[in-house]
Amino acid sequence: MDGKKTNLALAGVALGFLVLAGVFARDLPGRSVAPTPPIPLVDLKFIDPTPNRVSIAVNLRKGADASDYDCYVCHERNKPLKLNIGPDGDVIVPSEHKDIVMAHGEHKRNNNCFNCHDENNLDKLQTRDGRVLKLTDLSPASTPQLCGSCHGPTYRDWEAGVHGRTSGYWNRQMGDYSRLSCVSCHNPHSPRFQGRQPAPGPHRLHPPATVPAVQPERAE
Amino acid sequence: MNRRSFLRTSGVLATGIAALAASLSPLRELSDYSSAEEFMQKHYKELTKDDMAKVLARIEDQVEKQYQVRPHVRDYKPMDGVEFVYCLNLTRCIGCRKCVHACVAENNQSRDPEIQYIRVLKMPHGSLDMEKGDHNYSPDKVPEKGFFYMPVQCQQCRNAPCVKVCPTKATWTEPDGITVIDYDWCIGCRYCEAACPYFARRFNWTKPTIPKDRINPNMSYLGNRPRKQGVMEKCHFCIQRTRAGKYPACLEVCPAGARKFGNILDPNSEVRYILDNKRVFIQLKEDLGTSPRFYYYFDV
Repeated sequence: MDGKKTNLALAGVALGFLVLAGVFARDLPGRSVAPTPPIPLVDLKFIDPTPNRVSIAVNLRKGADASDYDCYVCHERNKPLKLNIGPDGDVIVPSEHKDIVMAHGEHKRNNNCFNCHDENNLDKLQTRDGRVLKLTDLSPASTPQLCGSCHGPTYRDWEAGVHGRTSGYWNRQMGDYSRLSCVSCHNPHSPRFQGRQPAPGPHRLHPPATVPAVQPERAE
Repeated sequence: MNRRSFLRTSGVLATGIAALAASLSPLRELSDYSSAEEFMQKHYKELTKDDMAKVLARIEDQVEKQYQVRPHVRDYKPMDGVEFVYCLNLTRCIGCRKCVHACVAENNQSRDPEIQYIRVLKMPHGSLDMEKGDHNYSPDKVPEKGFFYMPVQCQQCRNAPCVKVCPTKATWTEPDGITVIDYDWCIGCRYCEAACPYFARRFNWTKPTIPKDRINPNMSYLGNRPRKQGVMEKCHFCIQRTRAGKYPACLEVCPAGARKFGNILDPNSEVRYILDNKRVFIQLKEDLGTSPRFYYYFDV
């Protein structure tokens, strides 16, 4: 079919497409998705590899005052100390040492100060089999001797590098590796790992309030 | 030709061209065009040493132009006699998610939209059913009583489904066990994402956003160099660290020492000690036959 009508129809279609092309080129309809608020950057404390605690040895190496750890500033030499045991069988920590919270062992079974400390020689620590260690010389090799004298399997794992974090080079020929002593993670008086705030979870596209309240019998 | 037919033909042509232009308009959103060399680059396995040197120099220039930080991009080759294996102690993991963010910082992942290779699942005691896992937990304190925490990342499977389905062989398993991606060869079809049973693979839907002051300049070609829009990425066992003999970033930051990494072929390694001496091991979704190189264990 030839003629004016065809031409008109074709011109109309062409014009329509040109208009559409212009609309797309100018992006007139815009985006239908609402912009989400920017995701905040993570707090740098969550990527900090510093160990859990600063032990006495590490503190001293950093230049802390050694007189803070000199027991004979208050105690008399050669005077063996006695423990005060309360009515519940738990040790009563003297008020001068009130910063020490005793919670060693399930049901506080190991709350006897002189299981580790030497009552006759306060700047030493003692093991049950008679080894003596200096309190302020808590190098990575020495604390594990004390803790390991009771916690054998854990000590064996620690020696193999499997308990606690080993940092540095897995390939020992290519570089050095470092281990941490027991007290860099565990407080010797309350050794159980404390709870801490977790880093933020994966960013959620829809805030929890928009999720319907009725849930099937499983986690989201 | 007369005027009528000329007008008609030109009208039809104009329509055709306009329709073509309209249909190609989404391409205007593509902000980083490949250079000619990048487009004609060969597959990683076919690059000669000279080719690779040129490619690395080009990548360094691109990163410097974009982030104003001069990186050092290397191509690490696998070491002989090494097969990497990861062991994760589920008795020790406290669910703090520090590994997630250390990985993001080390591997230059996009912050907005967010890409995180590691996903930590909070699981109730007594079950390994991953459908019971919750990844959105945010209590004031972890660990919570009655739950254990299981971080999941690429399991570097010995029988990897993602490698099998890739239509272009942009992803493959290296001799040291790491499943790697050539970001310049990936076409972004996302078959590997569909095939992976562990949700290990992440896709760059848009151009990744990395804050300039948090970019890690120690990069490698197959590892943590910044990716572009339209390619897959995933955990590669910090290939830029582990092939240089170091521990991966997730292990270095773990406060509980729950993560252990090493060479399974070395009888004196930590991972060999674990596999020889611990008694309870889990490989996720073992029944699928992927044979992961990632072992979860309990300290019993």
